[in-house]
Amino acid sequence: MICRPALSRGSQLALRRQGAAKLAQRGFAAVASPKASYEPTTIAGVKVASRDDNGPTTRLAVVAKAGTRYEPLPGLTVGLEEYAFKSTQKRSALRITREAELLGGQLNAYHTREALVIQANFLREDLPYFAELLAEVVSQTRYTTHEYHEEVEHVIHAKQAKLDAAAVALDAAHAVAFHTGLGEPVYPTPSTPISSYLNENSVATFAEVAYTKANIAVVADGASETGLAKWIEPFFKSVPAQSESSSLSTSASKYYGGEQRIARTSGNSLVIAFPGAALGANQPEIAVLVGLLGGESTIKWSPGFSLLSTATAAAPGATAKATNLAYSDAGLLAIQISGAAAAVRKAAEKSVKALQAVADGGVSKENLVKAIAKAKFNLLSGSEVSGTGLVHAGANMIHGGKPLQVAETVKALEGVNADKLKAAAKTLLEGKASVAAVGDLHVLPFAEDIGLKV
Amino acid sequence: MPVAPSLYNAAVKRPWLMSMLKPLAGWYANAAGYRQMGLRADDLILEENETVLKALSRLSPKESYDRIYRIRRATQLSLQHKLLPRAEWTKPEEDVPYLSPILEQMAIESKEKAALDTLTILKKH
Repeated sequence: MICRPALSRGSQLALRRQGAAKLAQRGFAAVASPKASYEPTTIAGVKVASRDDNGPTTRLAVVAKAGTRYEPLPGLTVGLEEYAFKSTQKRSALRITREAELLGGQLNAYHTREALVIQANFLREDLPYFAELLAEVVSQTRYTTHEYHEEVEHVIHAKQAKLDAAAVALDAAHAVAFHTGLGEPVYPTPSTPISSYLNENSVATFAEVAYTKANIAVVADGASETGLAKWIEPFFKSVPAQSESSSLSTSASKYYGGEQRIARTSGNSLVIAFPGAALGANQPEIAVLVGLLGGESTIKWSPGFSLLSTATAAAPGATAKATNLAYSDAGLLAIQISGAAAAVRKAAEKSVKALQAVADGGVSKENLVKAIAKAKFNLLSGSEVSGTGLVHAGANMIHGGKPLQVAETVKALEGVNADKLKAAAKTLLEGKASVAAVGDLHVLPFAEDIGLKV
Repeated sequence: MPVAPSLYNAAVKRPWLMSMLKPLAGWYANAAGYRQMGLRADDLILEENETVLKALSRLSPKESYDRIYRIRRATQLSLQHKLLPRAEWTKPEEDVPYLSPILEQMAIESKEKAALDTLTILKKH
């Protein structure tokens, strides 16, 4: 019953798959000489950072200096993000989506506090198509009224409805830590009055300022340098070198610190934040301190042995994790705790005590080794697996720094000793903290109750 | 065809035909009587279908308000069996299409969607 062409087709496909597997193998084998860092170059006036591991897929992104820190009016970054891959002068949003599907690519737009990232992940040979697409999105999006009302607005409302207590608490902590600039919420809450600022015209004006050659960087992970040199020049030609009308408001970040409490019926979250390490700052002890505090378990069926996980073990139902949120000119070391209100309170008390113990008595040698190993893993896996390397490389480029030098940073991490760590913890606790409590305020503690200065 | 079948594009290409038809078209639009009630040609498009309703939702608030005003005024005139005073008639230069460009745009969009939905992929292997 099976016809011959069908059979032969199957074998053809199988052969092709084998070939593909071989290609992939070759790709991984080539990492014998790893290029962990992005190489900065400039192609036709566009800043480019690239890294090629000869793998079968490529990640190409336009990183623009248009994060919430730089938005002139609230909500514009979010609007610009949602307008990515909408209809352009050349093709409609539908065609963009369908063509990307046909080529097996993924299109993605997201933002951080500093950068707006428009990213495409695709097969290596499709570089010309996606380079053209990204350039088109940046320079020729039409910002139509009907797309704003029929799509952009709805998506923004849906995303606002999804904001949980943890996100609100982290935003509040940033607000008290930095006031304006980095203090702007990364996603406006439903109660933020953005409707009077956000419309297709204001987004288009912001795009004119944000999408200029001086303000964007193209980051390529897995694309050949010859390919980039060949395709970036013709397609990014239409991006203006500099905006005629105005420039972005950039003022240096200043750390203030303070306390913010927001009542909320669903979910409880407490963020305890201290001034941390900025991007490219030579403060390896902060990264090691984050590794020491930890929180998220890296092994299955066990809370782990980091300081925060032992702290939360006493408060079942709460989760705590420490992160260093690094920005171009400032950083925030944040301990985020969420869960049931009583558990959050207890975990917060224990976490601060743990940090206090580090500041008073230092750390054991064993813990130090573990923390350094964790910090190294965070750095390397972050730049390799989760794609944070791509955003960091782009953010560094647009702020005039050089991309993260992985090998050097690893060496710096290894040089951290117990005394440095103790001193770092001490300075954190002596300075002003930024504390944000969101949820059941009857139970959640004030900063002073858990022994912090605000 | 989003609005109504039209030979306009064919006539535009032939200047001699255009110069012949233009006075005729002007006479016809005046004779149709909608201008005497303060309406525009695009006000006469039937709105009882999904496409036109969507196109109406894409009008700017000002255009939408003016459209409703013209239609209500015309309805009132129709009830009273009256025409507007001559000074208030729609002038030929005011009788511009405001809805049909949107309808045409939407027709292009749906045509593109249909084409993409039914495309055949030719594999190279």
